[in-house]
Amino acid sequence: MIEFRDVSVTYRGGVRALRNVDLTIDDGEFVVVVGLSGAGKSTLLRAMNGLIPATGGSITVGGTEVVGASNAELRDVRSRIGMIFQTFNLVHRTSVMNNVLMGRLAGVPAWRSTLGIWPATDREAAMAALERVGIVEKAYVRASNLSGGQQQRVGIARALAQEPSVMLADEPVAALDPVTSRQVMGDLQRINLDLGITTLVNLHFLDLAREFGRRLVGLREGEVVFDGDIDDVTDETFREIYGRAITVDDLKTADG
Amino acid sequence: MAAVLVVAYTLVAGRTVGFDLSTFWQVWSNPLWEKFWPIPWGWVLDRHNVLDPLVETFQIAIVSTLIGCGLALPLAFAMSPLTAPNRVVLVVSRSIMNVVRAVPDLFWAKLLVTAVGIGAFAGSWALSVFSLAVMVKLFSETVDGADPRPLEAARAAGGRHMPVVRTGVLPTVLPEYVAYGLYVFELNIRASVVLGLVGAGGIGRVVEAQRQYFRFDRVLGVLVLVFVVVFVIEQVSMAVRKRLV
Repeated sequence: MIEFRDVSVTYRGGVRALRNVDLTIDDGEFVVVVGLSGAGKSTLLRAMNGLIPATGGSITVGGTEVVGASNAELRDVRSRIGMIFQTFNLVHRTSVMNNVLMGRLAGVPAWRSTLGIWPATDREAAMAALERVGIVEKAYVRASNLSGGQQQRVGIARALAQEPSVMLADEPVAALDPVTSRQVMGDLQRINLDLGITTLVNLHFLDLAREFGRRLVGLREGEVVFDGDIDDVTDETFREIYGRAITVDDLKTADG
Repeated sequence: MAAVLVVAYTLVAGRTVGFDLSTFWQVWSNPLWEKFWPIPWGWVLDRHNVLDPLVETFQIAIVSTLIGCGLALPLAFAMSPLTAPNRVVLVVSRSIMNVVRAVPDLFWAKLLVTAVGIGAFAGSWALSVFSLAVMVKLFSETVDGADPRPLEAARAAGGRHMPVVRTGVLPTVLPEYVAYGLYVFELNIRASVVLGLVGAGGIGRVVEAQRQYFRFDRVLGVLVLVFVVVFVIEQVSMAVRKRLV
């Protein structure tokens, strides 16, 4: 279970990215977070694994307090949280396999990963993750030789290799075309249902949010302005979250 | 207008330091040049005279490159805010490099000669320091410019510092590292020859010895051979570097 209690994040320049956020997410939920750029979606996700330190309040993931955690505690929490990024964040000059193995960093002794001598069990786990996203045949291909959709799949495989209990996706399809976006969102949905991994997805595109989300959280200027079932969401809801009418830019596929 | 000023100033400066074009003609018409010819190929291609010392020069260059560049890798990582484990390491490593760079190469050579005596050992150490300085300067910029995003992903997965840097950044910067290493090796070959002139062994010492005996024909022979070897090494190095980056 993930719990946000009165969480605030204020950046050094005084920008209040999150204000007094309260949020409870049960195991196995699939939550879509929407909001304008700058509303705090990225900050919300990154506060959860401490990539951005919260300046107030408490965040617990699976019982472990993240705010103010020591480096060792943070590494422990992070090993249980898989993260995928809008720009995929892969190492371009090496193989897909080496990228996915990065997901096993937490469980492997430092000297082994530093020298590149990964145990067989970790290689197998990496292969299994690649199989689950359907690109095991690309295991030894150089990462930069893959398409955007394939690269994001490698990112998902890397997160899955951690065998996480939580999956955070920060605008995972923003750089992808509509068809590939649906495939990736479908992968995330399937992983959530098959493996029971609690999933949070930041989305810019409201049609995707409605199609794949089950619970919707709307952020506006760092505050939660909507938190409820996707079935209860209407265009009016989005208008409240965005503070303006929906435009065609807010949809991935503008096929009315 | 600026060009005219530059030319004028150059002429004035040249006159002030005693630059005299007529001395060029004097040099070229010196009968001493006759002593450089013919090249005694028998002597030059003899193993003991030239080829063994050339190998020693080569070895000095290789050892210096490996030591200097080997140390430069972790030092460059320690010096970059992107890859340093903490502020202390960052500040300390930068201070060390500032000292290394502030001291002129020849001073390191002198220091080491006083410490360990003249010879290949001192030469190797001096060139190692030189290699370290050059490599760190070149490679730091590569590290600073590396993509930080895979690093973020590695940290998000819960990795410790060194594995994070090893998996998240090293593959990205390794081609440049090897390319710079080859370049430093080229520099070291030539520097090793020069150091040999002041006693650090290798082919430079042969050149200096023959010069002192006024055997300029042998000197020319050796220089031709050195030129060929250096040229070949540089061509190979450039070809490999082009394929790397």
